[in-house]
Amino acid sequence: MNIIVTLLLFAGLFFFTGGAVGILRFPDFYSRLHPAGKLDTLGSLLAITALALFNLHHFSIGTLLTSIKIILILVFVFLASPTATHAIVDAGVRAGLAPWVKGEERR
Amino acid sequence: MKITGLIIAVLTGALLIYATADFPAWGDPASPASTHVSPRYIEKTIEETAVPNMVTSVLADYRGYDTMFETTVIFSAGVACFLLLRIFRREEPEERLYRHVLTGVTIHVKKGGKLPPSDDFERIDTEWTPHDLIIKTMCRLLIPFIQLFALYVIAHGHHSPGGGFQGGVMLGASVIVLAMSQDLRTAVRRLREKVDALLCATGVFIYAGTGALCLLLGADFLNYRALAPLLNVDPIMARSHGIFIVEIGVGIAVMATMIWIYSNVSSSGKYDEGL
Repeated sequence: MNIIVTLLLFAGLFFFTGGAVGILRFPDFYSRLHPAGKLDTLGSLLAITALALFNLHHFSIGTLLTSIKIILILVFVFLASPTATHAIVDAGVRAGLAPWVKGEERR
Repeated sequence: MKITGLIIAVLTGALLIYATADFPAWGDPASPASTHVSPRYIEKTIEETAVPNMVTSVLADYRGYDTMFETTVIFSAGVACFLLLRIFRREEPEERLYRHVLTGVTIHVKKGGKLPPSDDFERIDTEWTPHDLIIKTMCRLLIPFIQLFALYVIAHGHHSPGGGFQGGVMLGASVIVLAMSQDLRTAVRRLREKVDALLCATGVFIYAGTGALCLLLGADFLNYRALAPLLNVDPIMARSHGIFIVEIGVGIAVMATMIWIYSNVSSSGKYDEGL
């Protein structure tokens, strides 16, 4: 159990690190949102699943309930985060920001 | 002038930093803050108010005056925003735009023109207002859960972190999310400006009214013990219930103020489409 939890946490941290590097390294607004969205969904999926499993260490109705609540957080993050990314991209398009093309300077 | 300001800022900052040296160590049990009243609250809260979360009992019972005026401050912030920003001139534009939701066709209505009676049209403000099906649908899905959780936070303030302020902010945020995902008009159609302002005042009134009721029943202002005969419980439970009534008032006031400030700021007081 502990091994699974550790593996999941490290995988989550790997994606979080990748996402953070991506946010810093990508050339423009739209492409930076790509790692930001990934990090919020996949990174938190792995990390929160690990927490829910870790919480089940001493199995009882109480800890099961807490784990379900933790999974519920995940569900809502999963619904809200891509929508937020979509809304931000949409705001960018509406404000008239042109996407970056190859050869341009990063901004 | 700038240099004077800089000198004043640096001096004040240096004084403040110098003063922090006199603070007791963090978490010091012998510090003044944890020797006089804190132990009493920690030991007597359950006994006196039957509220397991002592933060709530300190907030709404032992220091009820403080919280009452905090609520009043929030109310005043809402009123100030309203008085500063609200514009009452009604200037209908020459031409209004409606979108037929099912087909996406935009209809221009000239002044005096009428729309066919149907619910399939939504008013839009520019021709290129995009149809945000994803955001609208997701918000419609999430708002009930946000509101449910907000009610839970208000009601569960006795046992866990939460209470009127936090739950009220969440309730307000749910309506603000509606206003952002659709537009301000839709949100205002659900919760009229007047109703919102009235709710804002009602929240403060519930709090102050509970205090006044205690006064009428022959106890001190905000001494919920006096409510025992009204609520048909013993005085200790009456304090617990009194805290709950007051928290509901705080929740209503905070919710209405959040919405009020948002609608005034986001539409510059015109109450049109908003952001």
